[in-house]
This record gives sequence, C-alpha cells and structure tokens, in this order.
Amino acid sequence: MNTINKKLSLGQSLFSEEIRISYKGPVDGKIITFLADYIYVINELSEKATRKIFKIFFELAENISKYSADKIKLKDGKEVGSGTIILKETVKNFILVTGNPIKNNDLIPVMENSKNINNLGHDELREYKREVRKDNTVKKDSPNIGLIAVALTSGNPLDIEINPIDDETSYFSLAVKVDK
Amino acid sequence: MENIYIEGSHTNFFVPTVEFNAETGVCVLSGESFLEDTIEFYDPLVQWLEEYTSEIKRPMTFEIKLTYFNTSTSRSILDLLNIMKEYEDDGGEIIVNWHYDEDDIDMEEDIEDYMLDTGLEINMIPFDEDEF
Repeated sequence: MNTINKKLSLGQSLFSEEIRISYKGPVDGKIITFLADYIYVINELSEKATRKIFKIFFELAENISKYSADKIKLKDGKEVGSGTIILKETVKNFILVTGNPIKNNDLIPVMENSKNINNLGHDELREYKREVRKDNTVKKDSPNIGLIAVALTSGNPLDIEINPIDDETSYFSLAVKVDK
Repeated sequence: MENIYIEGSHTNFFVPTVEFNAETGVCVLSGESFLEDTIEFYDPLVQWLEEYTSEIKRPMTFEIKLTYFNTSTSRSILDLLNIMKEYEDDGGEIIVNWHYDEDDIDMEEDIEDYMLDTGLEINMIPFDEDEF
C-alpha cells in the first residue's frame, strides 16, 4: 500500500507538489460536472493543460462512478461508485490520480487493455481507438475505450497499481500525467 | 416530420444543444456532451436522421460545434456520421462542417479519425476560442 499512499497522500508530499483538487466520496453526475467546471478556474493550469485534464478527468471519474466496487446509495435511490480523485501539480506535470476498489472480475480486462495501451505509440493508439469504437460487440460505455482516450489525450503511459483487498476485490489506482 | 430542438444545459450533466430542422435540412449539434444515458439521448437523433435521409431526401447541412464529448458520445457521433455517408452514397446531398478550437489538437485528430472511419468528407473549420 506504500505506493498508493504516496500517490494519494495529501500531507507528506506537499513540499514537492501542490494539491489542486482532492475529493473522496460518491462520484455522480453532479460531482463530476462540478469538479470538471472547477478545473477551468484553477489559475495554475495553462489553456492546453486545462483542456487535456478536463477530458481525462471525465473518463476517469465516469469509471469510478460505474465500476467502483464501493457503491453508495443516494437520496434519489441511485447507486453510484465511490472513490478518490486528486489533481496534483509537480514541477513538470499535472497528475490526475484516481483510486477505488474494483471487483477482480472487472480488473482482468482493464489490466490487459492497459498493458496493451502502454505498448502502443500515438498513431497506433489512434488506430486502436478507431477499431474499438467501430466494434459493436464492445459496449458504448466500456471503460476500455475511455482508457484509450485517456492515454491519447495524456501523451503519457497509464500508471496503474493494484493492491488486493480480499479474494474478490482489489484496490485500483490510476495516475495519468499531463505535461505542462 | 417534426423538428428536434433540445436546449443544452450545464448542470448535473452536460447536455448538448440540438437543432434538427426538417424544413431547411440544417442540423446543428453544439456545446458539450456528457450524459447520464448517452444511448437514450442519441437514439432519437439517429432515428430522426434515418427518417430524413430515407423519406425527406432534401439537401442537408450538418454543423457540429461540440467543444467536448466523452467516449460513449463518440460512438453515437459515429452512428450519425455513418448514416450521413450512406445518404451521400445513395445520391443525397450533404455538407458536414465541424467547427473546433484551433488549439485543440486532440479534437482535430478526432475529426480526422471520423473521416477515416466513415469515408465521409468533413469540412474542418478551426475557430479562435476567444471569438467563438
């Protein structure tokens, strides 16, 4: 859990990085749109970085909302996924980090897809995105299409970490860098 | 055939503005698209376009002015563009204009990828965000 703690920590790493957004809790449409709008008012972000972080944020937040194994029932009866979202700024990059428990059954295809994504260059990724998007056997809201888009937008590899919680669930953490 | 008008909103989700006009053949999709149920939102648009291209068959201009759309929306956009390409292949007159921020390289690549996927010619029209 050490690396996760490092990725998600608020207190220990403030000397080398600044936390621009930190949220932990249910991730529904209201929270996603609120935080997405907030990204646009963060002064430190350049126009280019803002646009990229905005796009990446939506995909990662939606994945928590839909696939987190930690479900929270809201007053309107809807059940949404819960997790952690942090936007950090370092000297060279902005890093969007998300963390949530995930069912191991959902984890295997995500891991395989992420490994595949990280082995592809920019043009190959574009081609892969087009293939997956055209494939009608893939669900429209599949997390795999979202992760391809995240990697393309970021221009950096997906940094994934998995830590087993029990036989059925693991803690899934994903960090995505956007260059300044 | 009825027109479709949906006013975009920016509250719990981002709903794009839709203006599909059966009399003029001008269709506009603008704003941001991040929806609670993408299929439920876009299916009526797909059906409208199928009906227009099979029954009305007049010249069409399709204007896309989306500044953001998520990946589930991107599949529905592909569905719309595929119908337009079929219409063109069957002799229908259609112009597709896609307006995008000139600094948004990712959007520019997205449009290029749609052209490769569908074979449809899309006029890429960059704009300066400050003037949009």
